[in-house]
Amino acid sequence: MSGESPFAGFMDEYFAECDEHLATIRRLLLELEPVAAAGGAAPQDSIEELFRSFHSIKGISGMVELREAEMLAHHLESYLRVLRGRESRLTAAGHDALVAGVAALERTIAARRDGHAPPSIDTIVGSLEAVTSSIAPAPAVPDTASPPGVWRVTFAPSAELLARGINVDTVRARLRQAGRIVSAAPKIHGGSVAFEFLVAGDLDDATVAAWRADGIETEAVATEPAPAVSDSETPAGEGVARLAPSHVVRVDLTRLDELMRIIGDLVISRARLDAALAQVESRVPPVEWRPVQEHSQTIERQLRDLREGLMRVRLVPVGEIFRRMPFVVRDLARDTGKQVHLEMRGQDTEIDKFLIERMMDPVLHLVRNAVSHGLEEPADRVAAGKPAEGRLTLAAASVGDMVVIEVADDGRGIDAAAVVTRARAMGIPIPDGAVDPATMLDLICAPGFSTRDETDRASGRGVGMAVVKTTIEELNGHLALQTSPGEGTRFVIELPLTLSITDALIAHVGDRTFAVPQGNVREVVEIDPASVRVIERHELAPFRGATLPILRLSRLFGIAERPRRALHVFVVGAGTEAVGVAVDRVSGQREIVVRSMADALVKASGIAGATDLGDGRAVLILNLPDLARHARTTLARAGEVGSH
Amino acid sequence: MVMASLREVCGGGFAEAASGLEAIEQLALGPAALMVLDLNMPDMHGLEVLRFVRNHPAFKRLPVIVLTTRGDDASRAAALDAGATMYLTKPFAPHALAGHVRALIGNSAAERA
Repeated sequence: MSGESPFAGFMDEYFAECDEHLATIRRLLLELEPVAAAGGAAPQDSIEELFRSFHSIKGISGMVELREAEMLAHHLESYLRVLRGRESRLTAAGHDALVAGVAALERTIAARRDGHAPPSIDTIVGSLEAVTSSIAPAPAVPDTASPPGVWRVTFAPSAELLARGINVDTVRARLRQAGRIVSAAPKIHGGSVAFEFLVAGDLDDATVAAWRADGIETEAVATEPAPAVSDSETPAGEGVARLAPSHVVRVDLTRLDELMRIIGDLVISRARLDAALAQVESRVPPVEWRPVQEHSQTIERQLRDLREGLMRVRLVPVGEIFRRMPFVVRDLARDTGKQVHLEMRGQDTEIDKFLIERMMDPVLHLVRNAVSHGLEEPADRVAAGKPAEGRLTLAAASVGDMVVIEVADDGRGIDAAAVVTRARAMGIPIPDGAVDPATMLDLICAPGFSTRDETDRASGRGVGMAVVKTTIEELNGHLALQTSPGEGTRFVIELPLTLSITDALIAHVGDRTFAVPQGNVREVVEIDPASVRVIERHELAPFRGATLPILRLSRLFGIAERPRRALHVFVVGAGTEAVGVAVDRVSGQREIVVRSMADALVKASGIAGATDLGDGRAVLILNLPDLARHARTTLARAGEVGSH
Repeated sequence: MVMASLREVCGGGFAEAASGLEAIEQLALGPAALMVLDLNMPDMHGLEVLRFVRNHPAFKRLPVIVLTTRGDDASRAAALDAGATMYLTKPFAPHALAGHVRALIGNSAAERA
């Protein structure tokens, strides 16, 4: 307790609140951009809302003693103040200064969050001062919005005060009326005990004097001069007191993870109960058995509801990622001299909070690539018979248990020849002939691959696409590429809605059991082994008027085979991409708890993790799309070798 | 229930605090032979109160009985680490608490003597 920053417990709240204000600010700045470009009068309500957001950030930054953020917010606020309530024009230069100021503010707050030294803000402050002074301040408008001060209030209890009914609880109630209590802690004060409160709010001299008579000492801790108390147009304490609407609870994600883990344990315990019940079933008369089984099934249903409820709590709109993109695109378009129209769809699609945080950088990278490499210069586009303005689409949608995010452009497409040349130069062997999209994706995602000799600032380093792909795969997702020369490129990211619990089909091969996430399986079919033909050591079965390559898990895992009357086959993928994964037997559908295998030593392609079906044995969860891709690749190679 | 059993042991000689800060205030203002501390309080966590009390030279040796509904080993270890003299998990029989209080007050009286 002693020696620790009094703000320690408040910092998470501070960051969360800054994020909220910054999100509002970003939205408003975007709305104001066309106005600024036309040099028009800015709508007063937007200016007002921006002002309030900066004002709040300034207030709370002061409270946590993040001086750089406070300073930036102060200058941003000052500029808005001169724009406010007057016939001022928002100029393009002014808008740029605001955008640069916000970017610096974000960096400053992020630096504190990551424990780094704050970046230098002098240049930005200078340009903000310049745009502010370019508009003469209206003398009639006084500075009505000085931030609420922060006060250190010390109360030393005594028997005499207690006799007058003044104790720490009544003092606290008084402080609460005057402002917001940021922290309260007892202090050992020269052998006796005193209480120290940090209070945010506006205190006047009369209050301070009255308190002093009751053993309450007050001193300002804010660096700014004690705020003048006037007919402030913001209600008392506004900007700091309003931490969150009362119906919203912010919860640390790790607490939800812990809850999810407990529910996972419950799912396993219930599976054990189920197995135990199955063993005694034959020994219990049916009349007595039925209620037992009904209760067990009720618990299963309720457990599923509980799990889904918690999952919903963790879901946040994909818009969290998308919201930043207009700024990124705007800056990039300006830097590269390209014209870009950004279209966003499906921002409301919900996805697990953990996933969204991990997806921010990959999506950012794809968007940067699309603008700097995908889209052409306006002149080139016109020459190619396209509109000068390039189109970039960012879309999200839920498909079953998956969320699909697409980043598409209508640019020049990926130059397959250049990719192949570059890959060969790196020593990656590629057979002659057309390169299919999956192979092309693997090539551009190879570590160190970049078709440009010099990696430019916008697209970052050559490691970019490699990191994009690994991140997505680590999250049990899948990245796909469609590109056609002159028409554009589309990256499709498929991600599971959530990571930890999923429905799975239980499959058996020999004496081994595997779990297969149901979302990966298009259908389960029986195939007559006699209809399977062998070509180039690969098995193909006729299926719905086409042929389906068959991958036998027994061969893949080296499990002894016994002749069977029928092959049970999971169909994965559609159309020409379809692959059948054959097992001996499918015994049912279960809810499974996914334990990921993050250890690099045990991680293997084709294995999504492990689970416990209730009998205490670890069962591997298969990543069928991975296995299917592997099968298709070897099949394609075999086909090419065969045709030469 | 807790209050009733304490009243029975101590007669009128016990005071009640509604919050962690108030508990510390009462300790500071009046001599106390023993503190019964609930971990769940509105402002400070009971463990914070306990750590503060143990940091203060005057209360270093004050017997503190920690009451909690959490009976797991980790909470118990945390409370004992923070300096709890005794750790009781709710629910407990009133006379059990009364017995412990009597024993601890007796001990510290004997130590002082």
